[in-house]
Amino acid sequence: MMYLKLAWRNLWRNRRRTLITAGAIVFAVVAAIVLQSMNRGSYEVMIDRMVSFGTGYVQLQDYRYQNEASLDNAFYFDETLRNRVLASDSRIQHIAPRIQTFMLAANETSTRGAMIFGMDLHHERKFNQIEDFLQEGRFFESGREEVVVAEGLANRLELAIGDTLALIGQGRFGMSASGLYLITGILRHPMMEMNNAAVFMPLDAAQFLLSADDHITALLIQPESARLTEAVATSLRNELAETELAVYTWPELLPEILDLMEMDMAMPRLLAVILYIVIGFGFWGTVLTMTMERMREFGVLISVGMKRLRLSMVILLETLFISSIGALGGMGLSWIILKLIDPIHLTGSAAETVLEMGFDPVIPMSFAPDMFYTQAFFVFIIAVVVFLFPLMKIHRLNVLEAARS
Amino acid sequence: MKTLFILSWRNIWRKPARSGVLLAAITVGLWAGVVTVGLINGMMHQRVTYLLESEITHLQLHQPDFLKEGFARYFLPEHDALASALESDERVAAFASRTITDGMIQSTVKTSGVRIRGIQPDRERETTTFHRNLTEGEYLDSPMRNPVLIGEKLAGDHHIQVGDRIVLTFENTRNELVSGLFNVSGLFRSASANYDEVNVFVRADDMNRLLGVGTIYHEIGVLLHEVEDAPAVARNLTGEFPSTSIRTWREISPELTMIVELGGVTMVIITAIIMIALAFGILNTMLMALFERMREIGMLVSIGMNRARVFGMLMLESALLTLTGVAAGVALALLTLRYFSERGMNLEVFADGAAQLGWDYHIYPVISASDFGVMMSVVVVITMLASAYPAFKGVRVNPLDAAKDA
Repeated sequence: MMYLKLAWRNLWRNRRRTLITAGAIVFAVVAAIVLQSMNRGSYEVMIDRMVSFGTGYVQLQDYRYQNEASLDNAFYFDETLRNRVLASDSRIQHIAPRIQTFMLAANETSTRGAMIFGMDLHHERKFNQIEDFLQEGRFFESGREEVVVAEGLANRLELAIGDTLALIGQGRFGMSASGLYLITGILRHPMMEMNNAAVFMPLDAAQFLLSADDHITALLIQPESARLTEAVATSLRNELAETELAVYTWPELLPEILDLMEMDMAMPRLLAVILYIVIGFGFWGTVLTMTMERMREFGVLISVGMKRLRLSMVILLETLFISSIGALGGMGLSWIILKLIDPIHLTGSAAETVLEMGFDPVIPMSFAPDMFYTQAFFVFIIAVVVFLFPLMKIHRLNVLEAARS
Repeated sequence: MKTLFILSWRNIWRKPARSGVLLAAITVGLWAGVVTVGLINGMMHQRVTYLLESEITHLQLHQPDFLKEGFARYFLPEHDALASALESDERVAAFASRTITDGMIQSTVKTSGVRIRGIQPDRERETTTFHRNLTEGEYLDSPMRNPVLIGEKLAGDHHIQVGDRIVLTFENTRNELVSGLFNVSGLFRSASANYDEVNVFVRADDMNRLLGVGTIYHEIGVLLHEVEDAPAVARNLTGEFPSTSIRTWREISPELTMIVELGGVTMVIITAIIMIALAFGILNTMLMALFERMREIGMLVSIGMNRARVFGMLMLESALLTLTGVAAGVALALLTLRYFSERGMNLEVFADGAAQLGWDYHIYPVISASDFGVMMSVVVVITMLASAYPAFKGVRVNPLDAAKDA
């Protein structure tokens, strides 16, 4: 306790020095966090969107479907299975069944490829805000031969609400599938490739069209919070171990996007390391001059009976204090900065480019906790390395010489 | 002046440890700045060059409607005239015509949407580096009948292997569906898995046979000797062929333009961050050093050295230190850059998890002499500014107080 007090007081004997050193660390921490946060934020939004509209946090498939995404590998889904899934883990919030396949969508004269999503709107709306993307018209009603077409596809086929869309393709086990559907709504999907190809229809109508009664290709599962993804997946795996169903979590279903994110994160991480090297040298310089300046003081302390080990403890505490002030201040400041600038709205040609790539023209910030504590870790390492110099000096200190200086 | 110089020089070496730390900080600051700029430059350069050479090329020619919708009926009506104009232009290094339409790929597993690119194998090889993306099998000049190249990703989704057969279905110029059986002659992998999933390559001749209206092309990709000529060549061509859409790489890929434009801004921000970090270190150490020397400076003032000369002496010390540090930093940076420009810096250590898709994490730094010069001047200015404040404090010392201390 006394060491703490001693170290703390030593720190404030030279207020300016302490503040500048801590300031340098604050600056490094802020720069590192903000740079990473900007890079990572866009990916988090993208992942969130892909998860809530595409894969779900946890997904149930036939075990063959991952390798061969064909309707032949759809699975039987009824009340019994629904209840079984819901009962397997109380932390499951919602589930939504889907059947998905590729078909041809046609108007009178031309044909385009289309992704068909048979969905149960009643469950789907708990997962995402798909209904908010409706531009005109209304959503289909269950059991009717109605579809909602994504805007891009509708434009390509020059179709509007009230027109008829022809779907031609293959159902389960090579059964031919074709039907005419009334377009009840046009939807603008935030994901470009979906906007150019998606057709949404009632689950039962899709199952009928595809000769896949009571079969679905995927069951999307939403845990109470994203953190519970793994836990819920484990419960489900245990529950369904004996069946032909396989449980996937979103990182398993979206490896490319995670890979891309890692690629883009590599540069800011490298920058953070370089930045810490520069800051580290500054810190080292401060500690070094501080040590030299206080040689006489150390000499006096040792000659009046202070143990070298204890003296080292005090100096270590001082170093840790400065770095903690810097690290905590930096984390706090960067959090405030991020809150203030989040999200950055792009304008001009940059905004157009981003829109073209299928994203909103904003750069959201990431608040991922690991970003913050990694910095603390770096600062701690620097503090320890920097401390080696005074440690060595104290160890070798010659009391007589020091007192004379 | 000479005395001042000698004085400063000796002052520096009276406390080698302290001067050493300052030197090290300056050296590391310059080194960090140069290496970072080199790496960012290198990364941008690599991305841009790769995208230009493998796919985008410098100019692309289309029928304007084709850009909105990849229908087969939107082919280039003036293709032959365009080709001979390109042939006679000395700035053009190579060009390749492509027959392109959107259609479907059907395997035994499933059906999905793809863009079918009919290329001229020989010309394409001269124009783009696409053939280098081939990971398995043979390029389109194989003797196989109706060969098709498929992305590894797409092949995985469809369970296709080299030698398998697939059916490609697309609309002809009269909006009728036509299908053809194609043999998978090879697999490719580009830098973008998304691209690989929705593009397949066949021979333009095979595709024209299926389309059945003679030889038509939808796109001409043009490679120039000099990238800078792109706008000029585009202007000339537009003058000659007003009904054809002629776009330079900047118009084709706003993404690339953004990389190039944002790149400059990123560089400035990052340089600023590193320099501010450097300034903190220098300022602090200088300040410390000065406090320690207050008594000495007070002494100099009281024995009659005028304050301007004291200031001059302190600044001269900083200048000498800075120049030495800059020289050392340049040497260190040159060594680092040389090392990494041969081997490439592997960024993989900074990425969690395995790089499953085989991204190239190796960055080869690129730095121009002027970037180097700018960085050196910035370091000199920053260090001198950071030492001016302590020196300024120093000359305002009261000799009496200073003599009383310690």
